[in-house]
Amino acid sequence: MVKQWFKSGSPWIWMTGGAVSISLISVIGLLAMIAWKGLSFFWPSQVVQFELEGSIAKQTVIGEIYDRELVPKSRLAATGIDVSQFEKDEIERFLIKTGNREYVNLDFRWILETDIKQRSAPKALAVFERNKNGNFYGYVQSVIKDGETVKTDKVETLYELVDRAVELNDQALDLQNGDIGRINYELERLRLQEKAYLLDNELTDERVAELAQARADLRAQYGELEKELFALRKLAKRDQVTVKDMRGEVVTIPIYQVLDVWFPNDMGFFAKLGHYFVQLGKFVSDDPREANTEGGVFPAIFGTVFMVMLMAVIVTPFGVVAAIYLHEYAAKNAITKMIRIAVINLAGVPSIVYGVFGLGFFVYVLGGSLDQLFYPEASPSPVFGTPGVLWSALTLAILTLPVVIVSTEEGLSRIPSTVRDGSLALGATKVETLWRIIIPMASPAIMTGLILAVARAAGEVAPLMLVGVVKMAPTLPLDGNFPYIHLDRKFMHLGFHIYDVGFQSPNVEAARPLVYATAFLLVSVIITLNITAIGIRNHLREKFRSLEH
Amino acid sequence: MITVAPQVNQAKPSLKLDLNNLTDEQKALEIKDLDLYYGDKQALSKVNMNIPKGQVTAFIGPSGCGKSTLLRCINRMNDLVDICRIEGEIILHGQNIYDKSVDVAALRRNVGMVFQRPNPFPKSIYENVVYGLRLQGIKEKRKLDEVVEQSLRGAALWDEVKDRLHDSAFGLSGGQQQRLVIARSIAIEPEVLLLDEPTSALDPISTLVIEELINDLKNKFTVVIVTHNMQQAARVSDQTAFMYMGELIEYSDTNTLFTTPAKKKTEDYITGRYG
Repeated sequence: MVKQWFKSGSPWIWMTGGAVSISLISVIGLLAMIAWKGLSFFWPSQVVQFELEGSIAKQTVIGEIYDRELVPKSRLAATGIDVSQFEKDEIERFLIKTGNREYVNLDFRWILETDIKQRSAPKALAVFERNKNGNFYGYVQSVIKDGETVKTDKVETLYELVDRAVELNDQALDLQNGDIGRINYELERLRLQEKAYLLDNELTDERVAELAQARADLRAQYGELEKELFALRKLAKRDQVTVKDMRGEVVTIPIYQVLDVWFPNDMGFFAKLGHYFVQLGKFVSDDPREANTEGGVFPAIFGTVFMVMLMAVIVTPFGVVAAIYLHEYAAKNAITKMIRIAVINLAGVPSIVYGVFGLGFFVYVLGGSLDQLFYPEASPSPVFGTPGVLWSALTLAILTLPVVIVSTEEGLSRIPSTVRDGSLALGATKVETLWRIIIPMASPAIMTGLILAVARAAGEVAPLMLVGVVKMAPTLPLDGNFPYIHLDRKFMHLGFHIYDVGFQSPNVEAARPLVYATAFLLVSVIITLNITAIGIRNHLREKFRSLEH
Repeated sequence: MITVAPQVNQAKPSLKLDLNNLTDEQKALEIKDLDLYYGDKQALSKVNMNIPKGQVTAFIGPSGCGKSTLLRCINRMNDLVDICRIEGEIILHGQNIYDKSVDVAALRRNVGMVFQRPNPFPKSIYENVVYGLRLQGIKEKRKLDEVVEQSLRGAALWDEVKDRLHDSAFGLSGGQQQRLVIARSIAIEPEVLLLDEPTSALDPISTLVIEELINDLKNKFTVVIVTHNMQQAARVSDQTAFMYMGELIEYSDTNTLFTTPAKKKTEDYITGRYG
């Protein structure tokens, strides 16, 4: 019976099917977990007020329930808590996010189930999202508009004032990063210009005067803009709100520090949904704050995509040209075979090794020489002789080169020789045949190589830590200052951001959901890049479809 | 259509050529003492023949006899095979095409070739036809349009595709694709057109259409065709060469070769004793 069952092949089918199922479940499970943990963070959860007494002195705690767990009695006893009157062997305890970081020692604290005397969710509880010190929880006492306490429509006025302050702050920030940033950039360029003249012994009196004039003009502009900036800031600082916190004390919060305010216990489902998407949008489009533990990740998304695209632009021509040489021109002998094996093996070198190579060769040797040749005026501060986005893209390009070469060669070898002969028989030379027929027909395979390269490069972090990624980059590699693309700049990367937020953060509890959210975002970015490339490939394949039979 | 006993095309020119003593006027190609080796193996030995202008010459013989190899020598397609070595001469316009000074691409423009399997490029019908012209740097739309119509008419394909010139060439049937390839070859106006078993991958009706086309083509081009189908050779060709084991056994006008062969081997082959 069993023997026959084995003979029928069913166990084999079950085994293969099982292997596929396990793979599928792990992948989907992984995505589902990071998606759930990351995305649920932006949901406006209930803020609870606890009245506590028991193992601790009588007090009130206000906050969001962040986590819960069961703790055995013995472990509690070990921390010095009197466990004699507890009936159960295991006691539940809650992790509460209490916020108000500057007024309490810890903005996260554990409370025991047995200590909770009363638990409520008052509708008047407000959450303030601030640009400093995290969230603040409490009851709005009074709203002070331009020195006067608002009597009616306190909450509506508060919303208005917060919107106004956010608007003014945004204007100030735009001014600072835009026009003022441009002037600083220009001033720096003038300084370098002057130094360049000096180095070339061309600093005539005329030029000194010119530079001084230009500098004076810029300084004047700067003064104007600075005044404007200070005016905006002053305007933003006009209003305050007083809030009663969980200690029962009334605290004054300047409204210019408040980014958003909401009353989660008083929100319906759709209000919460709206709030959720606003928060999600901010996460994707804002700059990080508070040592990356709060705010958005836009610079990291931008850096990742920019670097990967730059890498694709570098690796594709290189890989394709190398593959063409190997397949079309190189003699078919042992040396070619060895080169091919070496190329394939390059794909197995650990990525950190590429990082070390990138630092040693690209950054120090190549970048250092570039600086000596073209930027002598900038010394001793390096321009290209320091990690940057160009070197990161180059390092990842050599890391992914083998993939592109191998799949391009595969594609070239699949092109039927009759098509090649047809072109040659019409008087085309080999090069013409390559350009007009072979490379277009191999383009789907080239795209496959690129897809694999992008998938690998977008997720790579280790080498980037050596050649260009930083925790916080003040400027993007792309901006409005000439020459607009700044390949020498350092950049932020989602993969490194995960590491930084998760392991280098001063406030691990606060950062944990961001780790998941960022991880989910990284996966989304990679999938988006891949789907785009796959779309292009399918389009190309469709074009050359009939040749695949 | 296909009968066992080869039926010789009755509409032959009455003028019989003395193949061994063609005048320069009559001669398209002259093959002299051609030897070809694949590595150590000799595939052609001492082939000598004159191919007359404006006529259809067929190479027949059993598989592996070297007839395709000989054909590929005429436009130097064998150059692509690394281990291939050629001795002897093929004279075109008084010049040996294996001379070092010969530009292979220019030679191939002059000696076109159509292969066994239809091999259109992954482009539109229009782009397939103008491929050779684009290579020569011709860009004027009017000139290209003109050539496309002329060539497709010449390949008896115009009426079938004139409304979909910019569709992919892969949408055509096998027979249409093969005619497209012929159109592509005649678009650059070669003197000689080499056909390497052009109908072996096609159905009987497409075969018939192509055979009729070959008859028309000889008015403008010198056609050399390789076929393993004796009936086809009898139907389309003016001259037939029978090859066996890399040697040219017999070469004469088709009528003579099929009715009164001079050599025993030829007779054995055409009566179906081997091959």
